[in-house]
Amino acid sequence: MGLSHKKQIKLTRITIKAGQILLQHGAESQLVEQTTQRIGIALGASSIELSVSLDAIVLTSIFGSDCVTTTRRCYDRGINMQMVCDVQRICVMLEKKLLDTDQVSDRLNRLEPYYYNRYLVALMIGLSCSSFSHFFGGDWPVYITSFFASCSAMILRQELAARQHNPFVIFALSAFLATSIASLGVIYDFGEKPQIAIAASVLLLVPGFPFINAISDVLKGHISTGIARWVFATLLTISVSFGIITSLALINVSLGWII
Amino acid sequence: MHLFTLFLIDAWFAWIPAVGFAMVFNVPRNMLIYCALGGSFAHSLRFLLMTMGIPIEGATFIASGAMGFLGVYWSRKHLVPRPVFTVAAVIPMIPGSLAFSTILGLMELNSSGYSVKLMAIITENGLSTLFTLSALSFGLALPSILIYRGRPIV
Repeated sequence: MGLSHKKQIKLTRITIKAGQILLQHGAESQLVEQTTQRIGIALGASSIELSVSLDAIVLTSIFGSDCVTTTRRCYDRGINMQMVCDVQRICVMLEKKLLDTDQVSDRLNRLEPYYYNRYLVALMIGLSCSSFSHFFGGDWPVYITSFFASCSAMILRQELAARQHNPFVIFALSAFLATSIASLGVIYDFGEKPQIAIAASVLLLVPGFPFINAISDVLKGHISTGIARWVFATLLTISVSFGIITSLALINVSLGWII
Repeated sequence: MHLFTLFLIDAWFAWIPAVGFAMVFNVPRNMLIYCALGGSFAHSLRFLLMTMGIPIEGATFIASGAMGFLGVYWSRKHLVPRPVFTVAAVIPMIPGSLAFSTILGLMELNSSGYSVKLMAIITENGLSTLFTLSALSFGLALPSILIYRGRPIV
């Protein structure tokens, strides 16, 4: 099967578009690498070589003795598993020959991230953090405090994220708000161990996905990407702690019980 | 019987954070039910193992390994990548509180000066965070490390 130079350029563009979408929406490096290689080979390249880093992809498609290389910056657009699912589905359909080159390119360009209703998300996150307070041994008043604290923190986080603020600023400010509201419970002695609410209500800010991605990247051989993700997640944790400690210092609640 | 009730309560409270965080990660609507099932399965399994006297790191490793294999089954059945279910399902097991208290302890160490007692707490919390988190990710990666070894799962 022949592949003209023009077609190879088109193939490279489609392939890197898929990789870019995957990386921007929080897929691990192994998944990005495998899916782009499968799409490229299904479109007719002999092999696809790519280098994935945290914020850019370099990709070369090889056909016979022709190489086409291209680079894309991948700004973080927030974790969105629905986009990852859609790209994977396109890849599987392409491999089963249900789509041709133009359809793949068309579908990739038409993909739009789907978001849940933000107030529904805030409600569910409130309930989640209050479930955590139950795991820590809190009673009903603590449950209620952590619900309101984490709900308001989540709404603040969404508001700031919609205004494209720096993630570290978002996390520190949300932690500040959550801790301030939860320490009202301590001040007014609401429930048996009101301190639990402070510990539970900041758990919506744990960077769980980056931490898990970091370790699985390192395990699967993408060590530099894994280290970059680990540093990012650790810095997020530090900025959350900064928010907590500022709020506690201002409201004058003792730190003794946390550490 | 008492243990069984505690087990059920644990499973009930574990699906809520799994679904909540799955919605933050924008998991497709029809996959949320699997996140909920996986979340309560993994967390209640870990609860059961911990009541049997297994330390938290080991229990987390077994529970997330089981979740990893369950994720392979679901992902092959529905043709979606595995992190879609598995990451949201293990979110309730992430040692977030320990991580924050480690960093808060370090900040306290900086402001109030070195003390052996504080350093002991920081070291214990920090090590527990590190090992639990590694056990969690390693458990999830088990199927692709041991069985698939670089081949795609879907």
